Amino acid sequence: MVGYISNIYVGVYTVLVGMVITFKQMFKPRVTHQYPYQYEFERKDNYREIPIGNRGQLHNRVEDCIVCNKCAQICPVDCIYIDSRKPSGGRGAKLWESMNVVHLKDRKQIIGIVEGDTKKIEPDTEITINQTVPTGQTRKVSSNDVDRIVERKKVTFYMDRFDIDMALCMYCGLCTEVCPTECLTMVDTLQGIEYSEFDRANLNYSFVKPELYK
Amino acid sequence: MRQFFGIFGNLSEVTVGSSKPLAGLLLEILPPLPAFLEEYEQLLAMITACGIFVGVVPLIPLVLVLAERKVSAFIQDRTGPMRVGPWGILQTLADGVKLLFKEDLIPPYGDRVLFRLAPYIIVCFSLAAFVAIPFGAIDLGDERYVFIVSNLNIGIFYILAVSSVIVIGIIMAGWASNSKWSLLGSLRSAAQMVSYEIPVGLSILSVIMVVQTLNMQGIVDQQDGGLHSWLIFRTPFSFIAFFVFFISAIAEVNRTPFDLPEAESELVAGFHTEYSGMRFALFFIAEYANMFAVCAIAVTLFLGGWQGVLPGIDILGGLPGFVFKTLFLVFVMMWIRWTLPRLRVDQLMNLCWKYLIPVSFFNILGVGIWMLIFGADTMDMKSLGPSLVVIVIAVFILLKQVFKGVSGTKRETTPVPSS
Ligand code: SF4
Ligand code: SF4
Repeated sequence: MVGYISNIYVGVYTVLVGMVITFKQMFKPRVTHQYPYQYEFERKDNYREIPIGNRGQLHNRVEDCIVCNKCAQICPVDCIYIDSRKPSGGRGAKLWESMNVVHLKDRKQIIGIVEGDTKKIEPDTEITINQTVPTGQTRKVSSNDVDRIVERKKVTFYMDRFDIDMALCMYCGLCTEVCPTECLTMVDTLQGIEYSEFDRANLNYSFVKPELYK
Repeated sequence: MRQFFGIFGNLSEVTVGSSKPLAGLLLEILPPLPAFLEEYEQLLAMITACGIFVGVVPLIPLVLVLAERKVSAFIQDRTGPMRVGPWGILQTLADGVKLLFKEDLIPPYGDRVLFRLAPYIIVCFSLAAFVAIPFGAIDLGDERYVFIVSNLNIGIFYILAVSSVIVIGIIMAGWASNSKWSLLGSLRSAAQMVSYEIPVGLSILSVIMVVQTLNMQGIVDQQDGGLHSWLIFRTPFSFIAFFVFFISAIAEVNRTPFDLPEAESELVAGFHTEYSGMRFALFFIAEYANMFAVCAIAVTLFLGGWQGVLPGIDILGGLPGFVFKTLFLVFVMMWIRWTLPRLRVDQLMNLCWKYLIPVSFFNILGVGIWMLIFGADTMDMKSLGPSLVVIVIAVFILLKQVFKGVSGTKRETTPVPSS
């Protein structure tokens, strides 16, 4: 009998304890992110880490593109459209000479001519760059800060059109692998994954900058 | 014809004390009818009063479904539906419209007639319970008109009777679906509802002993005059009876922790597994209307009905007060749902037969003794003092234990082993 009554008592009060706890929980702040609306919150400090090697939206840094057409040729779904044209100076005419692009780890880049071997970067050494943009300056950076050094090839073509239809792209990444100047990359920030559109035509990205080739 | 309708003749006149039902109010305030309809005016007033309830009651689930989702979200630190309309308030409407346009599937080899009939039976009898619940009152002249469709003399008995018919609809749904989950769910539901009718009936009985009437408006009339005259405080045993009633009511409307008939992890969705489209929505309407109905009954029987909180002052009285109290109980139901896990079948039956039913018998005995000693059945509140003392002491002991329990459940941080 005592066991029976204490059973009821324990049952009642443990249920009440549980209810008090859930009631307190009701006034705790929400943890849900209203993602597309609380946009800035997501952006802050790259809140959503994009893993390295993420396959997202393609981006072409056209300043480095030599219009070699390799990406358009390797693309399995043919979604890169390139139109190009030779400059009027005849055979051998160049729009610009080759130089190096030093990509730093904080996503900045320095364009210039690197002294020494650019293929191998030893750790804890200084790399001297004779900058071409703006001209005449020399900059020294520690090789620990350098992500990679790319050769910016001579440009011998005007680029009239460089379109990527991201609605067609299947994110195989082949185009980024063949690109000799590593100017065609996949964006590894939040922007690389947030580009949904209501109109499919808006997914056709045009990267060409005609003012570069004046 | 006239003789036939004659039986409705004085339905709008049934009075308890000086109160008249809603049909009487309609006859009073609506313009007079054309001459050829005059002999049916009683009947038309009744039908209009019913129509008001049938029109309003299906809107209750619209609110409650959203409330349920919001409460569950808040308890789990989420936000709930936020997209449709401001703060997501139109979500249920959108869901309803979606369900309207869904295909109405009938499983092959099922019983087509019973399958179509079952949701209507369930909805009809859940709505039928609303007929005898007084929602509020208004004083016009020296008459008091109560918002009740039919002021039945056997009000609470009628409600118990019609709400038991729902179980037939559930069994029909389960049988006609020709699906093992539906059948198991409906059988569980039948066992559960039949078992829990008993503690519901017994705890209502302990109230009826005090008020000595079955008429719902009569019960409310006896709780006139403020918080202290509510039946829950009249004897310490009716205080227990309220909780017995509430627990069994939760079980009777098949809600967590007693939602075995629709246990998702075992039975997909229970007796309405095979239903789709608007028929499924009807089950939902019935479930939430039922929930509202049992809470309204609990308010009427124990928490003063539409009577106000303070004597003389009309705070929390009338229709808004009644709806507020009912919605509070509905909230408690949701709160319990998101606190407690589901019981096993044997635990469910244990709780009913080994705990609730003996406790309700004990209650009836106790109320009888209390009436003999203190006279709890009279309105002059002689019994109130001693009963309040007992209730306050019991609640105090319980709450002390509860807060000890709450502070004892602080999250313990396990020390990180240092290497
Ligand atoms: S990543 Fe897209 S654009 Fe590049 S090759 Fe593959 S399909 Fe073509
Ligand atoms: S492969 Fe690279 S450099 Fe060649 S056209 Fe494509 S983007 Fe330009």
